[in-house]
Amino acid sequence: MKLHRKRNRSVTTTRRSVASPPRNRRWLLQFCVCGAFMASAAIEGRSQDVEPATRPSADQQQPEVAAAKQPDEFKKMSLDELMNVEVTSVSRRESTIGQSAAAISVITQDDIRRSGATSIPEALRMVPGMNVAQIDASNWAISARGFNNNTANKLLVLMDGRSVYTPLFSGVFWDVQDTMMQDVDRIEVIRGPAGAVWGANAVNGVINVITKDAKDTQGALVTGGGGSELRDFGAAQYGWQVKDDVFARIYVKHADHDETVFRSGAPGQDDWSMTQSGFRLDGQPSPDNHYTLQGDIYSGETDLANSSENTDLAGGNILGRVTQKMSDGSDVKLQMYYDRTQRDIPATFVEHRDTFDIDFQYHVPIGKQHDVTMGLGYRYSTDAVGNRVITFVPDRESLNLFSAFIQDEIQLVPEKLRLTLGSKFEHNDFSGFEIEPSARLLWTITKRQTAWVAVSRAVRTPTQLETDLTIVAPGASLIGNKDFDSEVELAYEAGYRIQPVDWLAVDIAAFYNNYDDLRSLELNGTIFSEENKLNGQTYGVEIGSTVQPTEWWTIRAAYTFLNVQVQTDPGSTDVSSESLEGNDPRNQYYVRSSFDLPYHFELDCTWRYVGELETQGVPSYMAFDARLGWHPTDQLELAVVGQNLFDNRHPEFGTGAAQHEIERGVYAMFTYKW
Amino acid sequence: MNRTTGIFQRLGIGLLVFFAASTWGGRSANAQGTPTKEYQVKAAFLLNFVQYIEWPAASFAKADTPITVGVLGADPFGPILEKTFQDEAVQGRKLVVKRSRQIEDLKSCHVIFVSKSESEHVGNILTSLNDSSIVTISELDGFAGSGGIINFYFDDKKLRFEINPTAAQPKGLKISSQLLKRAKIVATDKGAK
Repeated sequence: MKLHRKRNRSVTTTRRSVASPPRNRRWLLQFCVCGAFMASAAIEGRSQDVEPATRPSADQQQPEVAAAKQPDEFKKMSLDELMNVEVTSVSRRESTIGQSAAAISVITQDDIRRSGATSIPEALRMVPGMNVAQIDASNWAISARGFNNNTANKLLVLMDGRSVYTPLFSGVFWDVQDTMMQDVDRIEVIRGPAGAVWGANAVNGVINVITKDAKDTQGALVTGGGGSELRDFGAAQYGWQVKDDVFARIYVKHADHDETVFRSGAPGQDDWSMTQSGFRLDGQPSPDNHYTLQGDIYSGETDLANSSENTDLAGGNILGRVTQKMSDGSDVKLQMYYDRTQRDIPATFVEHRDTFDIDFQYHVPIGKQHDVTMGLGYRYSTDAVGNRVITFVPDRESLNLFSAFIQDEIQLVPEKLRLTLGSKFEHNDFSGFEIEPSARLLWTITKRQTAWVAVSRAVRTPTQLETDLTIVAPGASLIGNKDFDSEVELAYEAGYRIQPVDWLAVDIAAFYNNYDDLRSLELNGTIFSEENKLNGQTYGVEIGSTVQPTEWWTIRAAYTFLNVQVQTDPGSTDVSSESLEGNDPRNQYYVRSSFDLPYHFELDCTWRYVGELETQGVPSYMAFDARLGWHPTDQLELAVVGQNLFDNRHPEFGTGAAQHEIERGVYAMFTYKW
Repeated sequence: MNRTTGIFQRLGIGLLVFFAASTWGGRSANAQGTPTKEYQVKAAFLLNFVQYIEWPAASFAKADTPITVGVLGADPFGPILEKTFQDEAVQGRKLVVKRSRQIEDLKSCHVIFVSKSESEHVGNILTSLNDSSIVTISELDGFAGSGGIINFYFDDKKLRFEINPTAAQPKGLKISSQLLKRAKIVATDKGAK
């Protein structure tokens, strides 16, 4: 059933385990569960400019409203003055996602800037349904709709179409996913299985970070600042016009992050620093033809607890994409990328990985009622692991992933009822063929209300963590299971969106997911093994809303409710199900109030509440962030940001003595463009 | 810390309620149906556009025939159009507004603003106006590429517009270079009707 696979991946979690020496089986169990998350089968995300069930447009919306004016004031303005006026509206944000038959949220550049988020994980906190927990200075546990962990494996993450989760454990190393935050055009988050379009491992959602076209980042930009937790950072970027229709930009950035603390108050010894540089080139020789070439390289290190050495991180990527519109209304897209990562944790493990991916897509409207998209892709990923404390057998693995998908948007009743049918077909080296079909129905009740329902099947394919990871320790050992199978999810979702008046929009999504063949940690005597003997059910509700009571005041709020239940299959000797149920909070909410003040000041206040993580012993917490910004001219912006202001420190994830607490922090920054 | 958390939790919930309540309170204080700022600005743009465009002589019966601005489809402006055009004169002509859901009713207009509600019918609308000297304006992605003359779009938070001069020329419309130099110039897509 399963082809022989070789995969060796370093398990980042091992770094944490090394910090606290093994004391008993319980520790080893947690270690293995964490370690087990690593590795993942080739998950093929569809690289592209993000096209979930619908296509959110490139429009921005960000209000920057000045004091409300009477129409008379505008009609007296000249063309140039009118072109300088800034406009914001709730409608513009909502219009793009209103036609989506999925739980989708868009984080705009303004959301990122005004919330004070300096990294992608921080920006994700404002999305309903996302569980974002900071583990320590450089590590995050991020998931949607359950099963969060530092090696959460049910979320697909893409940067401009390049898949960034590691096949080692099907999760994301967030410490090396970075870009110039000012270049992020938007982050689109789809909660729920998007397997039909994005492929395996998009079980609980897809996150797509989309950067701006080079022609939208022309000129020079310098930014920098420092503070208590974000000790210092700086970045510089330059964009220019290469020739008629060709634009380019290059950037370099560096940041140093301070360490967190352990529960006892002792220093966490996890400070880290990272330097990254990159470029992007966009050409548009004709309105129908567009090409992009982009790449990044980075190098950094994180401190290692109880050691004088550091973990070294390095890597780079290069991606090219061409799109062409045809005269019959169809379009094609071809994308290729190469990605290299290196992670060296002294005394624990080393992994070097090369990934090559090629993806082709064809979109064609057929008649008035059908809109078909199909794609083909191939990914090759190979790695070499230096086995130390953690071993992968074998230590060198090359993976091939073939994928194809097809989707048809059918106008059953034009502009009223739209049915989207699709499926992804994949072949990976671990579990062979996988099929992920999905059906979505969108009902446009009125121009201001839409409702949708969906049924989908998604899979999380096996990874090296399950098949190759081998640990032998006194009193306990873990042997890889070559017969580990995919986890299967059947998801039932529904949603409703309403914008009763221009200044208020509410988006509700509910789901019930049924999981089979979830990874279990079986214990027989002194031997642990990973099998598929758990099943689970999750259900929840996610509500997001935007309110604009006045021209200068906007409130964004999100509420998430989640219930996770996991049971053992008959005959299972699993020991991990209880902890799986307690890795996600039952309730979360997020409220950000944005004020546009006179004299070019802006103030944003964020309250967020996250419920407790029962089995981990992480209590519920409420955090308060605030940002005061001042942009006296078009070119200069200054800001002061306070994070976690109410509490000097609190934990968000992790158990026992290895649990880190996130401290209160303040930083100041400037941005200058010319 | 738990007690503090409890207090802040209540504070948070209270603030949520406060915001919700003030939202309703704040809104009712405002005039009903106050058009959004976006359309106030777009109306001011329309007023400016007509000042930089010359229609062929046959478009106006007399020297004081008003310039008619039509709105096709769901009207996003409301009374703001009339308020903007009130007491204004362009080339000695007043401005009047006409609204309809049918393109036939607006064939006597000099300017037609095509609403977002008509996004699926843009091709047919522009074809039916092929032989006219009407300035077509909209805020739909790709409108100018399809043969429309002026199209609004956003650049971050600022309003911009694109102009398709080759669509205007055959209609006998002359667009001032003052307007063209502030616009993004667009050509009709190959394959667009």
